[in-house]
Amino acid sequence: MRHLTSLRVSAVLAAGALMLAGCSGSSDDGATGDGVVTLNLLTHYGADPLKSGLQKMVETWNAENPDIQVKTQAVIFTDLLKTITVRQTGGRSADIVQAYGLWGGQLVQAGVLAPVPDDIAAAIKEDYSSAAIGAATVDGQIVGYPTEVQTYGLFYNKMLLAEAGYDKAPQTWEEIQDAASKIAQRDDAGNTTVQGFGLIQGWDSEVVHPWLSLMQAAGGQFLSDDGTEVEFNSEAGVSALQFERDLIDSGATDLSFDTPAGFPAEQVGMTINAGYLIGSLKAAMGDAYKNVGVAPVPGPTAGTKGSLGYGFFMGVTQSSKNQDAAWKFLTWLNAEKGEDGTTPMGAFQYSQGTIPPRPEDSAILADTAADPNLQVFVDALEYAMSEPNPPASQEIKTELQKSIESVWVGQAEAADVLDTATDFANSKLGNG
Amino acid sequence: MTTMSEPRIEPEGARTPVLPTRVAKTKNRGRRKEAWTAYVLLAPSLLFFLVFLLLPSIFAVVLSLSSWGGFDLSTIEFVGLENVARILSPDSTFVMPILTNTLVFAFGSVTIAVIASVAIAQFIERISLQGFWRTLYFLPLVTTVVAVGNVWKYLYQPSGFINGVLNFLGFKSIPFLTDPGTALPSVIVVAAWGSIGSAILILTAGLKSIPDTYYEAAEIDGANSWQQFWKITLPLLRPTLLFVLITQIIGGLQSFALINVMTGNGGPANSTNVAALEMYQQAFAFGQWGTASAMAMVLFVIIFVITLIELWFFRTKGEDTE
Repeated sequence: MRHLTSLRVSAVLAAGALMLAGCSGSSDDGATGDGVVTLNLLTHYGADPLKSGLQKMVETWNAENPDIQVKTQAVIFTDLLKTITVRQTGGRSADIVQAYGLWGGQLVQAGVLAPVPDDIAAAIKEDYSSAAIGAATVDGQIVGYPTEVQTYGLFYNKMLLAEAGYDKAPQTWEEIQDAASKIAQRDDAGNTTVQGFGLIQGWDSEVVHPWLSLMQAAGGQFLSDDGTEVEFNSEAGVSALQFERDLIDSGATDLSFDTPAGFPAEQVGMTINAGYLIGSLKAAMGDAYKNVGVAPVPGPTAGTKGSLGYGFFMGVTQSSKNQDAAWKFLTWLNAEKGEDGTTPMGAFQYSQGTIPPRPEDSAILADTAADPNLQVFVDALEYAMSEPNPPASQEIKTELQKSIESVWVGQAEAADVLDTATDFANSKLGNG
Repeated sequence: MTTMSEPRIEPEGARTPVLPTRVAKTKNRGRRKEAWTAYVLLAPSLLFFLVFLLLPSIFAVVLSLSSWGGFDLSTIEFVGLENVARILSPDSTFVMPILTNTLVFAFGSVTIAVIASVAIAQFIERISLQGFWRTLYFLPLVTTVVAVGNVWKYLYQPSGFINGVLNFLGFKSIPFLTDPGTALPSVIVVAAWGSIGSAILILTAGLKSIPDTYYEAAEIDGANSWQQFWKITLPLLRPTLLFVLITQIIGGLQSFALINVMTGNGGPANSTNVAALEMYQQAFAFGQWGTASAMAMVLFVIIFVITLIELWFFRTKGEDTE
């Protein structure tokens, strides 16, 4: 009997040990016996040139700081939030995460991000543009170093526009419609060979952000003046969505046409996109890039313009055992000035055609830039509407994407879906 | 006094209760020891199921009755049936169109796959190089879903092969994946194509188990091929068909990867969104783990009921499923 009992106890203990071994996370605190701290940095810079650019900066830091070594880990952007979520829940969070500003509220609410030290928060408020600060602020608190900021503009192909009789970018929605209709071409089978105005389905930012830019250009805003309710169903919101629908109905836009591939191939007359597109257009188009122009997103009447601003930030996680070392690295990466007076991150972002979040970096580097297209996005920082980041932002954005798509494909009317999307968003914000 | 060699004589009534008890005890001890040894040997696999099936299932049930944003287990908050009530409410998109899409996807892909695989399996049985043909049809199953989805995505493009053929034949291009009317059927066709291989393999085994004498007798009686198929093949293939139907419908109801690859987050405008994809979005993108788990529970009940209906249907048709 005693033997049996001891056998049972042994089996239970063995099972328990196995289970613990299987379930427990790493207890690695990032410090080795020789006092070297290793920090893990999780980003979405998983492809070149972003991947190699970040790695180069990290290698410079690692060479200069043998006691604090940084390892980069990259996933594609669409997997970034999921990876942060899963790793945090499983107790294997990275020390530093790069996050989309939209997720700020969700990450703060879940206790993922460590508070920013007061001196760093004060320096960020002092040195960064308001759009960049907005993307890294939740409930008035800075949550990390802004690393990049994006605004939206109207990309157009000068050659196609000239063929349509326009020697400069359209100034109103009516002109966009007219030019796009003239540019659009189809073959005998009805397939679009040249698209007048490109819209992109299937990706929330590509669907929602251009519409928000048009909405702002028409005088609308994301949130009410007191910041408590969304206003998607305003007259400006409805007219902006109806404008997109009209482009589709007229044949100037073909949703099945591959706009991301078609624009660099000079098969798309116009499209609304963020400044980051410049880098990939230059790489894809070579000399033909000279045909690309960028203008502010126009509104329904001449003289109006709109844009959306969003950004990314790098924050330190609450679970990191080396928060001081992490902030030290981030301060070097984002705030330490080199010989030319620019920060490593600022210079890197500018080299990719992205607006640096520190105006000082932009000012210094502007002299080196020969691309006037980038200036449109820098100017947009002054008037762009910031993308709010309450905890349910991603869910609201996905709902909005589906609502907009349902109008694009003719399933619903603009006013109806925006009413529904507004009610949904307000209920998520606690106003329902 | 008795010696060792002498048999021990005990009164009849006294011996009966003593010996069997001892034997029974010994037997019981032996059985317990055997059982215990069996449990110890089974422990690794039981532990695997405990850790990767039972515990997550229990956790999912708990989460379906809770509100949790992920990240920190201490923030789980019990909300009762609130999640289930919300996802089943008329305002929710979960029932319509998501669950409807899920059912259309599962039954659509299984219907196409089963009809095609029965026909192909029958055909393969009658031609030479059977191994080659079976391998050919099995190939999609050993190809990753991501590769299959991406290849078909290109085939469906306006400038893709299928529209090229349509244009050549004088038809206009079809916006397969960008029109809500054609997006779901387009994905269903791919799902069916991908699952035909395994169905053919199983159905071929079922066909081979049907004795040739039945067909010989039918031929002598003058039955044509069609009559032989309806009167012999199909009835005797029923157990195999039941297995194929149950496994494929369960797989179809849980489908996620193919749709995720081909249409992203279930677009355009929710027209290809299915339950598993919505669960994934709710949990990993929106941090609504309670809602996602409640959806999983509803899907579990649906799969359970559909499986019971299938079993009942085949039993009423005289099929012993035990």
